[in-house]
Amino acid sequence: MNAAEAPTLRKTDRTKLFFILPAVVWIVIFTLFPLLYALYTSFFSFRFGRLNQFVGGTNFVRLFTDDNLHNGLRVTLVFVVITVTLQMLLGFSLALLLNREMRGKNVLRALMVLPLFATPVAMGYLGITLFYEINGPINALLAALGWGAVPWLSNPFWATVAIMVIDVWQWTPFVFLVSLAALQGLPPDLFEAAEVDGASSWQSFRQLTLPLMTPILWLILLLRLVEAFKVFDIPTSLTLGGPGRATEVYSLFTYRTALRFFDHGYASAQGFLLLLIVSLIVALIFRQIRTVYQEEGN
Amino acid sequence: MRKQFFSLFSVLILFALVLSACGAPAAPAAQPATDGGPVVDEGQAATVVEAGELVPPVVAEACEGEACFCQDKTVTVIVNTAGEKGPISGPFYEVRDEFQAATGATLEIVEVPFAEHFPKLLTDMTTGTGQYDTSIAGAWWLGDLVGGDYILPLDEYYNDTTGKYPAWDIEDVQQGPRNLLTYDNKLHMVGNDHDGQVMYYRSDLFADPAHQAAFKEQYGYDLKVPDTMQEFRDAAEYFNGKDLNGDGTPDNGLTMHLKVGGQGMFHFMSFAAPFVIGPDNPNLFWFDPATMEPLMGSPGHVRAMETLIDLVQFGPEAMMGWSLGESWDHFLRGQAALTFTWGDLGALAQQEGSQVKGKTGAAPMPGTTEYYDIAAGEWKQTESANKVGNTTGGSWAGVISKFSDAPDCTYYLLALMATPAKSEVYAYRGWDGVDPGRFSHYLEPNGTNTIDGYLAAGWDAADAEAYTNAYFANFGAEMQFPYLRIPGTFEYWTALDIHLSEAATGQRSASDALAATVEDFNAITDRLGRDLQREIYIKSLGLE
Repeated sequence: MNAAEAPTLRKTDRTKLFFILPAVVWIVIFTLFPLLYALYTSFFSFRFGRLNQFVGGTNFVRLFTDDNLHNGLRVTLVFVVITVTLQMLLGFSLALLLNREMRGKNVLRALMVLPLFATPVAMGYLGITLFYEINGPINALLAALGWGAVPWLSNPFWATVAIMVIDVWQWTPFVFLVSLAALQGLPPDLFEAAEVDGASSWQSFRQLTLPLMTPILWLILLLRLVEAFKVFDIPTSLTLGGPGRATEVYSLFTYRTALRFFDHGYASAQGFLLLLIVSLIVALIFRQIRTVYQEEGN
Repeated sequence: MRKQFFSLFSVLILFALVLSACGAPAAPAAQPATDGGPVVDEGQAATVVEAGELVPPVVAEACEGEACFCQDKTVTVIVNTAGEKGPISGPFYEVRDEFQAATGATLEIVEVPFAEHFPKLLTDMTTGTGQYDTSIAGAWWLGDLVGGDYILPLDEYYNDTTGKYPAWDIEDVQQGPRNLLTYDNKLHMVGNDHDGQVMYYRSDLFADPAHQAAFKEQYGYDLKVPDTMQEFRDAAEYFNGKDLNGDGTPDNGLTMHLKVGGQGMFHFMSFAAPFVIGPDNPNLFWFDPATMEPLMGSPGHVRAMETLIDLVQFGPEAMMGWSLGESWDHFLRGQAALTFTWGDLGALAQQEGSQVKGKTGAAPMPGTTEYYDIAAGEWKQTESANKVGNTTGGSWAGVISKFSDAPDCTYYLLALMATPAKSEVYAYRGWDGVDPGRFSHYLEPNGTNTIDGYLAAGWDAADAEAYTNAYFANFGAEMQFPYLRIPGTFEYWTALDIHLSEAATGQRSASDALAATVEDFNAITDRLGRDLQREIYIKSLGLE
């Protein structure tokens, strides 16, 4: 490098910096600062909504001793496992079903994804109407079929079922939509060759569709797991965590801790626990996706 | 065949998904309730009745020139979301023009959901933003608001004798609710809503000779307005399953609202009071003032919760998921014989759409025949029913932020709404959420009002008399339930609310639920500082 080139390079660097500056400012203001501030507050107790005193790691120790928090984790875990499993199965199955030539296919596909655009909190309120126990539409339908009324919102078990039903209702279309897009992107010549070779539908699905879809299914699973762990709107609008704490999911518990009880230090610590859990899931699934791609490469 | 099955299955799924998409946006709004249908309005208000046209009179004259002492100023009030014809918020819309004309100020009304109100207010105050000049606050917030030095004492404004502000008389407010307006011997709230729970009963059913005879045969004594919890239980049991409104379907003995977050804990407070409070124990209910050790696990509390849970069988199972609006609607449709709740219900029963106008009796909460004296550690018998008055609820009233730019204008607004002429009309109406608690609301000889006012407002005479007498007796009772007003009150009550729900839905026994409540109370107290909490608790009870 000669002396004449140096200023030119520096100018290029400045231009690069100029272009990445907005992203850096964005990340610093909206990601880094809140994260560091949350970390800071997690070492303090609060009183009257203000920082009160430094308490060291007390808020993090409380994570291990708080039965109510453990209940929130348990409720969330059960919720995540059941709803995401159902959404994956239903969404993928519906995508397979509509990934074929049939009359009105486009209309059906468009209608299928509509719940995705509804606000989750509105879905929760809609749930109150649907699951209303005295002459609500679902219980009225059950009565017409000769079944007894189900205590959807007043029984701990059924209230849990109710929030799961609403969540599956809302998010199955997401799995459907992405799966369908991926299915349509699969190379048709492979399937034509398999058909020529006499492969049955099941064999085509087992040997071609599923292996080709595996990476995208892992990705969908990752997105749904991360979202499901953060579930808040539906249980909050539908049951407020009740009866008792039967549907008090982790995010609702943290919300109460922070914005109802103003225990911001402890809420911050809870936030870091959730971050840890979600990060672990992301890491595990990314590793799985990498493995899938490596196997394909090999 | 398989193809047909899958096609059918997909159509069904599709139908369900489309239904959700089409219905979602309409759900949260208040809906006119159909018979037996759902009511969704944040659970705060009844919806089977119409608001009516009765409006309070204009009492403030329009100002001119320099008399407009708030010219170019803005007063911002934050209030629970309920709309222009909704509880607590509605009267602000009514008074806006009058207030603006009288002062020159602009009134901005900010409605926020109940759950967001306190967090928004406290955030505004802790950051010193001063966005809100006044909040129509719950009385239990005073522990946090005064403790944090966030609101102004109002004595200076109240005692102003220059005629600058509309006059209202704190002595007109009955002693029970009056106590909630002051904190640490200073006035911090301007009288508005006066909450307390009384028992409502279907007077037509209790006066029915057929029911009287059948009840006497079944229980061995005359059917009468319940004086004790046992009589309350008997009446609830007797009426449960009978058709109470002539629609040919069985109805319920009682109705309550026990959804988590649906203010069920207030039911427990009103209900438990006579099991614990008595002549020898006027104050010990929440904490031991010497140690701040929670008292919720006492035998009196346990029996109260067991008794309350026992009553659940005489109400609709759905009430475990109900907020108060849904419970009120159940009574207003004539589907329950008994309930205990706030003053709103008695007034709502008079409005168009109610099926129980002229059939709604009211009386103070039933008592017990023995209570557990915590200090003595023993049950004590009483000669007559041990009845305890209560001010449970929010008693929503205005506080003025320390960060307000226009505290004098703000006080003017709150005082204007507290004037007797307006307060009287608020008390007549059910929809506005402002409940009675002043001598000027009560009929002679208890108070200064007359039946004519109530009749003109569309009341049934017998209902009005029973209603005002019940509130006069409740707020004037010699023994009063000790209202909790310390920092963290909402957190303590939330713990109680959740554990009550657990007990009511069979997840825990009554004693386990209360033991868990004690555990939560201790954790909250330790976190907020036991000594400081104790100091404030003693002060709030006036035990210094």
